[in-house]
Parts: sequence; structure tokens; C-alpha cells
Amino acid sequence: MSAVTVRSAARTSARPVVGRALAFLIALALAFAVLLPVLIIAVTAFKPPAEINAFPPGLVPTSWTLGNFTRIFTDLPFARLLGNSFLFAGGVTACALVFDSLAAYALARLDFRGRGLLLVVIVSSLMIPFQATLIPVYQLVAHLGWVNTFQGMIAPRAADAFGIFLLRQFFVSLPRDLDNAARIDGASEFRVFWSIVLPNVKPALLTLGIFTFVNNWNDLLWPLIFTTDPEMGTITSGLTLLTGPSGILPYGTMMAGSLIAVLPLGLLFLALQGRFIESVATTGLKG
Amino acid sequence: MKKVIASVAALTGAALVLAGCSSGGDGAASSSDASGSASGPVTLEFWHGYTEADGKVLDQIVADFNASQSDITINDTTKTWADIGDQLLTALSAKQGPDLVALPAENLPIYASKGAFAPLDDWYSSSEAAASLNQNAVSMEKINGSYAGVPWGFVPLSVIYNKALFDQAGITEFPTTWDEWVATAKKLTIDQNGDGTPEQYGLVLPDHATVGNGVWASLFYEGGGEIVDKDGNAVVNSAANVKTLTYWADAVMKDKISPTGVDGVGADKLFTAGTVAMEVGGPWMASVAEGANIDYGLAQIPAGPAGPASSAIGISVAVTNQADDAKKAAAEKFFDYFYSQEVATKWSLGSGWPPLRTDIPASAVSSNPVVAALTPMAGTARPLLPGIANSVDVLAAVDEATQKALAGGDPTSLLDAANSAVSDALAP
Amino acid sequence: MSATAQTRRTYRAPGQLGGRPRGRGGPRPARLALAFLLPALLILAAFVFWPVISALRLSFTDSSGFGAEHFVGLANYVEIFTTPRILRTLGVTTMYAAMFTPLTIAAALALALLLNRRTLWGRGFFRTAFFLPFIISMAVAAFAWEFLLDPQIGLLNYWLQSIGIHLGNVLQDPNLALPTVVLVAVWKSFGFYMVIFIAGLQDIPGELYEAATIDGANAWQRFTNVTLPQLSTTLAFVAIFALIAAFQAFDQIYVLTGGGPYRSTQTVVMEIYQEGFKKLDIGLASALSYVLLVITLVLSLIQFRFFNRREEAIAG
Repeated sequence: MSAVTVRSAARTSARPVVGRALAFLIALALAFAVLLPVLIIAVTAFKPPAEINAFPPGLVPTSWTLGNFTRIFTDLPFARLLGNSFLFAGGVTACALVFDSLAAYALARLDFRGRGLLLVVIVSSLMIPFQATLIPVYQLVAHLGWVNTFQGMIAPRAADAFGIFLLRQFFVSLPRDLDNAARIDGASEFRVFWSIVLPNVKPALLTLGIFTFVNNWNDLLWPLIFTTDPEMGTITSGLTLLTGPSGILPYGTMMAGSLIAVLPLGLLFLALQGRFIESVATTGLKG
Repeated sequence: MKKVIASVAALTGAALVLAGCSSGGDGAASSSDASGSASGPVTLEFWHGYTEADGKVLDQIVADFNASQSDITINDTTKTWADIGDQLLTALSAKQGPDLVALPAENLPIYASKGAFAPLDDWYSSSEAAASLNQNAVSMEKINGSYAGVPWGFVPLSVIYNKALFDQAGITEFPTTWDEWVATAKKLTIDQNGDGTPEQYGLVLPDHATVGNGVWASLFYEGGGEIVDKDGNAVVNSAANVKTLTYWADAVMKDKISPTGVDGVGADKLFTAGTVAMEVGGPWMASVAEGANIDYGLAQIPAGPAGPASSAIGISVAVTNQADDAKKAAAEKFFDYFYSQEVATKWSLGSGWPPLRTDIPASAVSSNPVVAALTPMAGTARPLLPGIANSVDVLAAVDEATQKALAGGDPTSLLDAANSAVSDALAP
Repeated sequence: MSATAQTRRTYRAPGQLGGRPRGRGGPRPARLALAFLLPALLILAAFVFWPVISALRLSFTDSSGFGAEHFVGLANYVEIFTTPRILRTLGVTTMYAAMFTPLTIAAALALALLLNRRTLWGRGFFRTAFFLPFIISMAVAAFAWEFLLDPQIGLLNYWLQSIGIHLGNVLQDPNLALPTVVLVAVWKSFGFYMVIFIAGLQDIPGELYEAATIDGANAWQRFTNVTLPQLSTTLAFVAIFALIAAFQAFDQIYVLTGGGPYRSTQTVVMEIYQEGFKKLDIGLASALSYVLLVITLVLSLIQFRFFNRREEAIAG
């Protein structure tokens, strides 16, 4: 990253610093607006229940508490729920990355009859809301004896049209000369896929991985429907168990739980976002 | 070429092994389909939504029942009411559901009308306990002339008020009629900076999605009207209801005693924030208020022209059609146990809801002040839309009328529109 | 021939968006493609295609999800098109999509361009900051927005009131509720599309910009002549998925307004959920799902065409 900055700084040294400062200030203002709700979530996690809906509303708690965090650990089998979440979201993500990239490769870079139609069929399956297919999917999972199991939660999402289409778009825009050269050298199709095409779409794989993980981590209805046994619940569905009567949500605890869940994801993203840049340097596209 | 297929196959295999591994650890977790065989004891799965202290009391009652005999074991699972709503349909579609399920009473008719529950008429005609139950509560369970469930909770809506704000305004008596109620609320409404938007309201009158959908039902009853009559006809646009809606729309819009556009959950929040002095609420608001350090009192909803009345929040328990005859018989034995004087008293004290039996004296539940306050009101409580399958559309139509009226709409035409929507919803 | 055209021709991938790939070894056997497709196709067939076909069958029945079901012909479809209450949800959804799709694309693309500037200080921080809303669950996000927007005890309202502005009850105003929900939805999701745009921008060879600069193109010309055409596959993807996401809007509405006030935010999927899970009319819910499928498919194909044509126009 620093090398890139130095190089570009050298190239743009003639430009006035004013432009850079302006861009920075714009980004800063936008970031504040976007982050305000996130900030509310973070501080609410440290507020005692009596302060959460107090008037006048305050951003910063008058008395900080860790009570919301301890409540997660005392009132819920938090470690178990967290483990379930990781297995579920991680399992779906791992499977989807493998299966989606294989299918996307065929759709983008292999020539076969009905390819266009297959793509349309796959993409249009996304246009049916999942609420409409939930019952047939559930019946199938139940028929397989997979209710309340991880494979019951993971298998139906082990490949998905969204990921296939996303990766297909990235595969399609890679220059064909890259892999044709390898083919002429006698590389197998799988080798072309694995060693030449995949390394070139790392940003796309990262994007899809984060997308799939986050969506499944935060999903409420899906794990709820497929696991009627509370032992199998995820952290997202588990937190709702703290719901009071009449749907009064345990806001402080929810925010604390959410913070614990989001923090690793946020840090992971912060650590990985540099890769989007790095991967370009290694593609050979700049040749 | 073969190499390609082989490597792809190997990859697929590896992924499947991965999936297999993750499933290895949870073989024991899928106990929900364990069922009692003909010879052994009968096991019943029981889902309920009591997530608070009440859930622990119910766990104890179930454990006591399991220990009291050796033929029946009940496994109870705590979920949220919302989760039960989402899980029950899919679970029933693949016969993976519970044998016993607790659900909000207004959701019972739709499931019952689609054949989800076993009829319990035999239990009602044979059980001694059934005869001693609050008949208003029992009336929630009758759908198309047959009993589809048993009442597990039945509590009238009441008014919770902020004693500190009452003291500040120098009010010592809780109002008993609508006119007094509005007058009291006016005294408690304060617009310090005079910008026309009060900082403190005397009352929060939610205009849609009210607590237990019962605030407006209660007011309509007190005004001498109702939403659906006992023959199942829409009567939303009765003269009495027009009068009631006009009265409260005036109070809110002219006297500004309540904020508008608030729903039930929002009303709870405002009361907890201490910015409103009174709210029509459920019994749990007592403990919510305690948590927010608010000194509260509970009172009956002040009487309207037709006297005091209130809509009840009800919980029903039903036997699903997944249960065979043996399981159904076992469930009925559990009901008999649950409704015994001793257990019914224990449940009332533990849940904070009035006793379901009418022969339990108020003195027996006086150790819980909330129950003691609510029990005398239970006589005037009426179930919400008993036996009506499409309660969703009926309630949406009424909500639209009340919300628009409190935003300045004409009550008469709004209730006429609501009435035709309710008629459509009631049509078979 | 300009240098730009030269490089563009070199760096354009053959077969972008629907064009047929020109593999040098001629058409490869379908068996090879099948080997790559098989794992995904098996899963999709079992858990997507078959359930989608089941839903089609259910749409001609009076199924409740359990118990007996009867064939009712087109009754569910007739009910949809003769019930104003249901028809209105199609209008609400279209309005939602018409606001959400362009706003999300514009916000995501603008920020991607801003954050793609090599000279921007704190780029990594900003990327993460704008992505954060996406990783928060909607139920939690809804709390934050209600905390901000509540007309009585909301923070934003409290701040604005101190300078004499009354925000009003935006989530309960039949005219403002839908735009408000759209804004929250854009806030929640633009970060994800932004990341896709950034990934796409990274793939644009720097030489194209250099060549364009040499040709004397200004910033706007570089954007329209280099960035947009090079980004077209990414743009097509984002446009189609933002549109599909808009037509499937559910979570944000479920937690923020529940479809109100007066059903002014009741989208098709909210209606499907209500008909299916609350009123146990799986037949009607399935039929409505198919109506939604047809609408979304037609709109997506038009979009696809549009991007294809642009693509060809640029290539030609």
C-alpha cells in the first residue's frame, strides 16, 4: 500500500494539495453521516436499560455499563450460539465459494450449447422470493431427515445463483489470451481454472465470501425455520430469545451481541480491503 | 479430460465430506422426532413463548407434572411468540411440529380453520376443571362450533400510570369515566415552550398495532359498540363506534392529550422514557416500568358511556393434528393437572396474569400485587375477535380507520370503509 | 487510430456479456462444462429449481401448507388481479424499486470512485466505514434508525428541534414512509455494491487512463469514455441485482414500518409473507410470487438488453 502511495504521490506531486484535502473532507463528512447509526448501536451496548429510551435522548451514556455484555453470557448459551453461527455461516460460505466458482467458470469461459439459457434460468431463480419456496425446501430437508442439523441449514445454500452470476461477470471480463496460452502449453482445464483464472478474481472471491458470510450470519428466518431445537440456534436467532413480552426487544443486549458479532467482521474487512489493491498488482493485467 | 472430471469430482467429494463432518456432531440434537411408542411412556413436545420469569414457572410446572406420574413426559421448548408464528407452519407442513403449542389466541382460528389442531370437545364435556374456567376465556377457543384449544392466559388491558407525574400535577384520584380521563390527561399535558408540540403528554393513545390489538376494541366496547357481533357480522360503522372514534379523535387532535402515529411498542417506549403519564398496556408493563425506575400504578380503563370494558390479551394452547390419540389423551391429562386449583394458582402468581379458574379467590393471589390489581378487572374482559379466521385483515381495516381518524380524517366515512373491508374479510 | 482504441481492443475480453467466446480449440465438449457445473447444478436443482416448480404447482391450489389441498385453477391469479388491495402492493414495490435502484447505484459508484483515488488519505478506513452498515443485521439497524427518527424521543428530531425544525413522524406519514424506508435501505446496502464497483475499477488497466489523458480527455471524458465502458459488466451486474433486491424488499420494511401506514409500504414480498405465513394461504402466496417473478424477469431482460446494446455500441 505504502509503495503505491509513494509512487502515485510522485506522479501527482504537481497537483495542488487542495484537491486531496477536499476529497478527504467530503469522505469524512459522508463517513460521519453513514456511521452515525453505527455509533448509536455501539454506545447503546454500554447503556443501562433505563437510559436506552430516556428523554432527552443522548448519544453518550451518563453511566457506562457492561451489564448488556454479561447478560449475553449469563442468559444465553453464548459460546454454543457463536459456534453454531460460525459453522453455519462459514459452512455456507466455504461451499458456495467452491461450487459457485466452478459453475461460473463453465458459464463464462467454456462453450456449450444452452449456455445463455442456463444463465438466464439460474439468474431468474433469484427472482422468486425465498418465502415462497420455504415450504417445499423445508419438506425436502425434512424428508432427508436433516431438520435440526447443520447440513439441513447449509446444503440448500451450498450453491447460489447470486454467487454464480457475480463470479461469472468477473470471469467474463478477464482477457482470454491468459488461459489460451496455458491451454496451448497443454494445461488441463481444471489447471487453467485453478492456477490462472481464480488468482485473477481474488477481489471478487473476497467480495462474495464476505457477502455470503455476512448474509448468513445475520439471517434470522432461515436458521429459525430449519432448527426448531434451541440448541441449534445461531447468535442472531438466539438474541431474539431475550425478547420481552409484547415484542419489547432487549435493545441493550441486542446491540451488545451485535457489536460482538460485527467487530470481528469489521476488523476482518479492514484487514482484507487492502487485498483488493494487492491482487491487481499480481494479475499481470498491467503487463 | 478424465483428469478434469476426476479433480472436480474429488473437490465435490471433499466438500460433501466437509458437510458430513459438520453434521457428525449433532446427531443427538435431533430429538424432536422422538416419539413415544405404544408400549412405553408418551412423550409430548410443547412449544411456548414465555421467555421471562413466567417461562421458568412453566418449566417448573411441566417438570412437576413429569415427576407426578410415569406415563407421560412433556418436553417444553421456549421460543418467542414471533418465532412460533414463523416455525409452526413449515414444521406442520412436514410433520416436524410440536404436539402441543401455545400461541396468541387471535392466531388460533386461522390454524384451526385449516385443520391444524385436534378438536378438544370431549375434554370440555368430560373434565371437571373445564367447567370452572373463566367462560370469557373459554370463548376464545371455540371455532366453527368446536373447541380447538384451551386458554393458557387471559388478561384484561389496563391503564398504567406514572405516579411521579401525577404527583407533580397534584392529581390524587385516578379517573373513572372518559370525561374525567381526558380532563386528567389535559392537566398532565405540558407544552413548556409553547410551540404547539407538548414535551409531555397526559396519555399515549396508539392509533395502530396497539397492545394485543385491543386498545380500540376496548374503547369501542365501552362506547357500546364492537367490531364483529356475535353472529359474525361486521358492525364497525355502528353509530356507537362513530361516536367513540369522534370523541377520541377530538381529544387527541383538539386537546392534544396524546402524540399521534404511535403503535403499541412505541407507546411502551414513550411510557418508559417518562414523557407520557398514562398508557393502556399489558401486565408486563409493570416490570418494564420497574426496570426504568418509574413508580407506577395500575387501574381499570375508565368507563365509557356503556360502562367499563376491556379487550383481553389471550394465549391458547392447542393439540396439533400430528398428535395421535394416545398423545391427545396424554395432553388432556396434562390440562387436568394444569387447571387444578393448586397449579392454576401457582401459574397465575408466576405469570403475573389473573387465575384462569373463577373459583380462586383474590386473596389467594394477593402476594403478587399486579395479579391482585388485575384479577377484579377480569370479569369485564372480552376476548378479541373469537373464532374469526381472517383476523389479520379485520385488524388492518380497523387500524387504518383509527390511524386516519387521529390524523384528521372523517370518522363516519372511515368506519364505513373499514366496515366493508371487514365484511370482505369475514366472507367465507 | 488513437492509442485509446488500440489498448481498448487489446484489453477487451472477447465474449463479454453474451457474445460467444472464441476458444481457439473450437467448441469444447459439453461433458467438460458439465463436470464444472454439476455440483452447483445438483444443489440448485434440489433446493431451488424443484421448490420453484413446486411453488408453481401450489399456485393453482388452495394449499395451506399442511392438510388437504385442492386444485383451484387460475382462481389465485384471478384474485390477485381483481383485488385492489393486492394490486397496490405491485405499485408500491415498483415505486420502491424506482427509488432504490438508481439511488443505490449512484451512491455506490460515486463512493467507489472517490475511494478508488490513490491519493485519498485514510482510504482503508473509509472503505471499511462505508461497508459497515452492510454487515449489521437489519433488526439492529432498525433500532438505530428508530432512535434517530422517533418524533418524540428521537435524537435527530431532538437536535433539529433545538434549531426550530420539526422533522415530524416520517415513518408514519403515508407520503414519507416509503422514501424513508428507501433511504435506510440504500444506507444499508450501498456499501456492498460499492465494494463490487471497487473490485471492478481495480480491473481497469491504468494504461487506458494514461492513453486517454495523452489524447487530452478531461476527467468527465475519462469517466464516460474509459471508466463506464470498462465497468459495463460490473454495472450490468449491480443494476440487475439492485433491481432484484428492490423487488424482493422485505426485511427493512418488516422491521421499520410493518407495511404501514395504510399499507403505503406494503411491498409484494410483505404481502406474500402475510398471505402465506399469517393467513395460511400458500396457494395465493405462491401465485403472487410468480407474478413477481414474471415482472422482475421482464425488467431484468430489458436491462440486460440495454447493457448489451451499450456494449455493442461501444465495441462497434
